Order: sequence, then C-alpha cells, then structure tokens
Amino acid sequence: MDYQSSNKTKWANGRKLRAVEIILIACICGWFVMELEILGIRVLAPYFGSAVYVVMGSVIGVFLLSLSAGYMLGGWLSRKANSQRTLGINLMAAGAWLCAMPFFTEPVCDGMFNVGFDEKWGSLLAAVVLFGVPTLLLGTVSPTAVRWLTTQANDSGLNAGLVLAFSTVASFAGCVVTAFYLVLLSVRRTIYVSGIALLLLGVMILLQTFIQNRQDKSRKAGEVEEANNEKQDA
Amino acid sequence: MKNRMRKVILTLVFCITAFWQLSSVSAASVPGLGQLIHQKNSLYHRIFVYKSGSVVSLKFDKRSAVQMQSQVNLSNLPEQKLEYTKLTFCGLLYKAQPQKMLVLGLGGGVIPREMHYYFPALDIDVAEIDPEIPPIAKQFFGFRDDDKLRVHISDGRVFIKQQLRRDPVTKYDIIILDAFNGEYIPFHLMTKEFLEELKGVLAEDGVVIANVFYDNRLFDAELKTFLTVFGRCQVFLGANSGNAMLAAPGPTAPMLTFKEAVDRASVLQRQHGFAFDMPTVARRLRPDILPDQRVKVLTDDRAPVNWLRTQKKRKLP
Repeated sequence: MDYQSSNKTKWANGRKLRAVEIILIACICGWFVMELEILGIRVLAPYFGSAVYVVMGSVIGVFLLSLSAGYMLGGWLSRKANSQRTLGINLMAAGAWLCAMPFFTEPVCDGMFNVGFDEKWGSLLAAVVLFGVPTLLLGTVSPTAVRWLTTQANDSGLNAGLVLAFSTVASFAGCVVTAFYLVLLSVRRTIYVSGIALLLLGVMILLQTFIQNRQDKSRKAGEVEEANNEKQDA
Repeated sequence: MKNRMRKVILTLVFCITAFWQLSSVSAASVPGLGQLIHQKNSLYHRIFVYKSGSVVSLKFDKRSAVQMQSQVNLSNLPEQKLEYTKLTFCGLLYKAQPQKMLVLGLGGGVIPREMHYYFPALDIDVAEIDPEIPPIAKQFFGFRDDDKLRVHISDGRVFIKQQLRRDPVTKYDIIILDAFNGEYIPFHLMTKEFLEELKGVLAEDGVVIANVFYDNRLFDAELKTFLTVFGRCQVFLGANSGNAMLAAPGPTAPMLTFKEAVDRASVLQRQHGFAFDMPTVARRLRPDILPDQRVKVLTDDRAPVNWLRTQKKRKLP
C-alpha cells in the first residue's frame, strides 16, 4: 500500500512541509471557515432579514454541506502525488473568491428575491452561491493534512485527531473573535483582508513546492552523476 | 469515601434549595410592575407580562434596568402610560390626514391600536418578526386586528422589500420604526440602505418616525444616517424617558418651526380630542439638534450598532 512506499521516501505524497507547518495551515483554514460563517450571517441579514432560524440555519447548513463535500474532495486529492501543489491552488482559489465576493453579493441576493424565492429558499440558495465554493475549498485542507502527517497506518488516527483538534480550536477562535469584534468593522474589508491572507498562504505553499521540487531534482541528478562516476571508477 | 459522598449530596441539596429560592423570588411580584402573570420564551425574546391592578406591562427581559416594551391600563385604554407612544403621534404634525400607515414592531400594540382608535379610516400595516407577540398583545393588552389594522409576521426589512416588488408600490403617509426597543438592536433596520428602501414606500408628503434612545452615540449615528438619506430630520426629545423621535419628512412634507408644531398640535387636539395633550408632544421638538460629526453613517457594510449603543454620551442634547 501507499504507507509502505511512502515510508521508503520518508514523506507522504508530495509533502514537503514540516508537521508544525501542516498543522498551522489547518488552523488558519479552520479560523477562516468560522470567520466566514459568522460574516455570512451578517452579509445575508440585510437581504433576508434577521429571522434567527432562517438566515442562520441557511448559512450553517450550507457550510456543513460544503465542508463535507470539501472533506471528500480533499481525501481524494490527498492520494495524488502533487497534492501540495493542488492544496496551494485550492487556497488561492478560495482567497480569490473571497476578494471577488463583495462585488456579486448584491446581485445574487436581490436576484434570489426577483426570481421569486422566499426568505428561506432565497437565503439558502444565496448562501450556496456565495459561500459554497470557498468553504468546499477550505474543507479540502484537513484530510490532506492528515495524509501528509501520516507515515504509518498505526499513526493515522492520532494524526487525524491532532489536525481536527487544532483546526477546531482555531475555528472556535475565529468564531468568537469575529462575532465579538470583527463584526464591528466593515464586513467588506474584513472579507477582502481574509481573501488576501488566503491568497498569500496559497502562494507561499506553491512557492515552497516549487523550490523543494527543484532541490529534489538537482539532488537526484547529483546522485545519478555520482553513481555514474563510481561505475566509471570501477 | 463516605465523607465525600456526604459533601456532594450536601452541595447538591444546597444548590437545589438555592435555585428553588431564587426562582420563587423572581416569580413573585416586582415593585411597580406587579405580579408576573404570563411568561413565554420565543425565538427572539423572553416575554414577561406583569399585572398590577388594571395595569399590564410587557418586558422582554427580567432585569429592572431593561426598558418596558408596553404598558396598558385595561380600565382606561386610551391612557398611554409610556411617553414614547405619545411621542410617535408627532408624525401627525407633518401629515395631519394620513391614509396609510406602516408600523415596524408590535410589542403590546399600543401605537397601532391608538392610531386606529383616533383614525378609524386609516389603513394600518404592522410588521412584527416574532409570531408569539400578536397573541400576547391580543390576550393581555387589549389589542385587536381587523381589515383596517393588519399584522404581518415578517422581518421589517423583508416586508419592505416585498412591498417594493409590488405593482403599484403602496405608499405610506406615516412610517413608524419601533423595532429596536429591546437589549439587542437589529442593525439591518438602521442602515443607509434600509432607509433608502424605506424611502421607496414613503409618500412624497409622508414622514418617517423612528423611536430611538438619545443617551448614547448610536443616536448620533442614526441621526446622521437619516440626514444623509432624507436630507432633513427633526428630533422630538422625550421629557422623562430616554426616548427620542427622529422625524424625517418626505420631499414635499414641511419642516416645522417650534411655533408651527405647537399650532398644528392645538388644531389636531381640537379635531380628535386625544386623551393625552398633543401640544405637549409638539413642545418636545428640538429643531436645532445636529449629530456628533465624529460618528459614521451606518451602512449594511459597517453598522456597529450594539457597540455604539453602549457608548454613553457625556453631554446630552
């Protein structure tokens, strides 16, 4: 199985990061998921009202569904050899989506009413359109992180627990800090800043992948050369 | 081991007794409000109804510091116990013969009920978000709805959005915003974008009346937002409550001087024989109040209303 083969190369598929870095990435994404969820309620309230069960239920429901799809996708992607590059691209895409979101919030929400949906279906569909994609992309992080940390089947449960525990604590922080303090600021600007932060994180991961790949290549080339030299010497 | 068990049991017994004691205290009478006669937890509020003699009071929180929502004397319905419901009649100074009225927020239903009483031909729509409130208003506060006074269970902003999508759009002569009474303030009923939507359902010569509290910086933010959207706004400051009314007249409605307001009030008083003194309401007009320029206009993007509300003002207007 994969475990054995990756054991030989020491690292899991495409992983070039240290354990701390992997957990940190999971934490950052955990923070942004909940920050976005709270802000999502705040963003939709002017269009669909603040009826507790309607807007909150829609946003929370959509986040859960998107996360589950993201977990599935992340689990599948983690088996690919270049999973680190994919993760970087995913985070960049999520960041870009957030940066663009303030521009299409109004047309989407007004559109839902114009099409004839009520507050319930309108807010649910608006939440799917606005928050579905970025949440799904952020959801791919956890399973990938678990895969990267796992070198032995015996450790897989421990690693899953580690990633879930840390990222959920970060989610808690993102949730509370957003609900208590960030909502006092401009929502638009908070979403921009979050989007830019995610973009930068994605770029950093991609850069790291790129540098590591080049180093690996030159090292391999060196090894081959050395082997050739040894042959010639013999 | 036995000792420990005993300790645990003693603590438990103590807790239960303390809880029982506390709950029985809170269920007893509250000075000034009388006996708690009804209690209901809804999605939005903890609703408490108190009765003392023939006076019934509605609160959304037990704490005494929290403002009463409504107070009604069942043996004398037209007597309005709270100052702010009388202050909302200031809208009549701008539009003496209203045909259609919109009230956001029902509570005990005093404002729409009294308006209906004095103007039986007036068409009144009320939007109330909490479905538990209308039955309580009917059961305890002498409120009745009919084909001239309709209650819609809806978020105020959603209700207005739906009105705007109708063809033709219903234009209201007087709109009363009374949805921000409790401890929590719905930000989306205060922003520039909301007031712009509200403008869409306001008659050219109509007026928007908003019930606010003037001892905090949210007052300045609201006044500034009203001035930004409507261009003009006058303030009626309550005498013995912390309430104030913001009155934003539509494009062809008048701005009032103090004297004009009092004169119009005297005429209205003669025509309708209000149980309260209308000129007293008119005398609460403060035409010269301007917002503190440091506060920002409230928008859908940025509206820290619940924080601004906690920022008390050192100098009252």
